[in-house]
Amino acid sequence: MPVDESNQSTAHSPDHVDVPASSDQAVQALRNGPIGAYLVASIAVGLLFLGWLAFYFLLFMPRGSIG
Amino acid sequence: MIMAAMLLVMMAIVVLTGIMGAMHPSSNVEVIDPTSLHLQGEFVESNLGTAVEPDGSVTVRIIAEQYEFVPHCVQVPVGTAVKFRLTSADVVHGFLLPDTNVNTMVVPGFVAEVRTRFAKEGEYAMPCHEFCGLGHHAMWAHVRVVPQERFANPTSVERIGCATQ
Repeated sequence: MPVDESNQSTAHSPDHVDVPASSDQAVQALRNGPIGAYLVASIAVGLLFLGWLAFYFLLFMPRGSIG
Repeated sequence: MIMAAMLLVMMAIVVLTGIMGAMHPSSNVEVIDPTSLHLQGEFVESNLGTAVEPDGSVTVRIIAEQYEFVPHCVQVPVGTAVKFRLTSADVVHGFLLPDTNVNTMVVPGFVAEVRTRFAKEGEYAMPCHEFCGLGHHAMWAHVRVVPQERFANPTSVERIGCATQ
């Protein structure tokens, strides 16, 4: 069956596809972990914590006890 | 590790301020017969509204019922200890005072007691914030915080309303 070259993706061509990564290379790439994701998550949680402290000490405490 | 430390800090703050500053939900538990509120006891009509105690503090007694608070508006002095005592004649209602920490459920058969002190004069809305039926959205009352000199000796009309004589 003839192959229509114009309808094929570049993934079909060995010239455009890298060789599969070895497990060693994957381990190497993940060795330092997702630093950026950790940083964003830390900033988000830190802001949440600061917000909780601000609400507690600047809003809740001055309003006084109800008991 | 950091998350655990943050949780510990938050819990320590809540526990310490709860113990040292009485910063905890109202824990008053009193039972009352909701079927005879209007006949006898503390919540008869003549005893509702604002009352000045011998020590100068103020007690406000309110009944919540579908779909209103009785009385609908109460006056209290600014900068004075105010104790709200509420109960319900029918279903569960809610009681909330903006700009204060007052936020409680009003359950039939029980007396809800909360204390606060208003720092600023003005009129505060007291909405029912516990869904109590089809008219829940219209269940509002008000507390008017007035200067202490204007609150020296409330008349019987002023006790159960915000009109002045």
